[in-house]
Amino acid sequence: MRILIGGWFTLPRLGREDFMLLMKQGVTYDKAMGFKMDAGTDLESAVRTIRSAVGEDIELTVRCFVCGKESCEGCYYSKVCDRRKVSSMCLCADHSPEKGIFDLYVKTLSETVVS
Amino acid sequence: MWVEKYRPKRVSEMVGNEEARMAIGLWLKEWKPGKKAMLLVGPPGTGKTTLVTLLAKESGMNMIDLNASDVRTKDKLEKRIGEATKTLGLFGERSLIFLDEVDGLLGRSDYGGVEFIKDAVKETQNPLIMAANDQDADEIRKLGSSCITVRFKPPPPREVEMYLRKIAEGEGLAVPNDTFQGYVVRAGGDLRHAINLMQSGGGSGEAAFKDVSSSVSQGLNAFFEAADPASALAGLRSVSLPPLEKVREIHTCVVKSKLAPEKLAAALEVISRADVIMGEIGATREWRLLRYLDSMLSQELFPIIKGENVRYVSEDLPFPVLLRIWNDSKKIRELSVRYASRASTSGASARTQDLPYIFALCASKDFRRRLEQTLDLDETYDKFLAKEAGR
Repeated sequence: MRILIGGWFTLPRLGREDFMLLMKQGVTYDKAMGFKMDAGTDLESAVRTIRSAVGEDIELTVRCFVCGKESCEGCYYSKVCDRRKVSSMCLCADHSPEKGIFDLYVKTLSETVVS
Repeated sequence: MWVEKYRPKRVSEMVGNEEARMAIGLWLKEWKPGKKAMLLVGPPGTGKTTLVTLLAKESGMNMIDLNASDVRTKDKLEKRIGEATKTLGLFGERSLIFLDEVDGLLGRSDYGGVEFIKDAVKETQNPLIMAANDQDADEIRKLGSSCITVRFKPPPPREVEMYLRKIAEGEGLAVPNDTFQGYVVRAGGDLRHAINLMQSGGGSGEAAFKDVSSSVSQGLNAFFEAADPASALAGLRSVSLPPLEKVREIHTCVVKSKLAPEKLAAALEVISRADVIMGEIGATREWRLLRYLDSMLSQELFPIIKGENVRYVSEDLPFPVLLRIWNDSKKIRELSVRYASRASTSGASARTQDLPYIFALCASKDFRRRLEQTLDLDETYDKFLAKEAGR
């Protein structure tokens, strides 16, 4: 099962205990949209809970900070990057480091963060 | 050092933890008395302290900074920051109060520190940010309802590469693509380590791809054979090992050398002091002081062993075996702490009396699964527990 961090996903009906555990682990739930994991989620524990509840391996993917697109596809580092242990956004192929996007990255952030 | 030269000067120049940075920035912008405090949780070196310092600077606030592991009791906290939480500046300006290392706030027993913080959050006239390394610490759980918790993690490898490229551009280096990737992979995604690797190799591929063991031997031999303390320091800094392992390697080399007894005693005295200092740093969580360890060794140990033909020798046990032993000990320590807290016993009793039985029960997959869930262990424990059960 593939889950995009920061995106909504659905799960088969969970038991009360698993559901409570996911809420405690910082997973967001919306009746209409489903579940969502973000920077506030304890990803390691949440992935373990979901894996145990649905009985299949969970593959996490992250979004591009600049454009919001899913960014793990074709990434050179995909084999060495543990998505549960790194921060929840990255850079996609269109905004990859070799394109010298540091200034764009800074601009994207400074537009949102208090300065 | 490039790490210092290219230290971010604005919040937007940091890399990684974008959502966390935005959340904290917005929280500070909208802060007013009565709002919850902010709790930043994450491993050392992920930018928590840097972020708060830069935020205070950018928003023109005076920062009142306190390491909570130094001030554990309610009385001391009251004395140090009590007034600051209740008053504004002369012209009504707010200060940013930062309590670092709150997981070291109380140690083993409660001296009222958590209650003080909970009260301070309700009454403070100034925004309060706290930082902790260990999200599972009891003190952190107790603070939960008074705070908005934001997690900090290391940046993903692609962002580390982006920062390396920015530095290379600043230094006018032409570094091939695969060399950047080599630095990132070899540094295990650690930004500071990757920057140091790039600096030590001057942007050449050598530092990115040479194997770690040869770099350790070369670095340590450069330290032992240096002409002066400055070259010794450069040699030591090129050894890409964690401080504790670096001191262990130096200890092995010194012990196995043919130093005269009085020189050996003096050298071991310095190494022992380095070990004590590392212990103190660990206990007080002043990780930033680790950066002075290399200087200390090159100023104090190097003059003793200079010209004494000390050379790099590897441990008798092969590194992978040592690594396995260290990893297993670490797991047992962590497991006993978690078990002890759950079973209301001491860590030592858990280790010596209970764990052998627990390991025996771990032959059952179902038991292992329940144990992992109860103690919130990650999946690497499954293999470890199965192995221990088979002993």
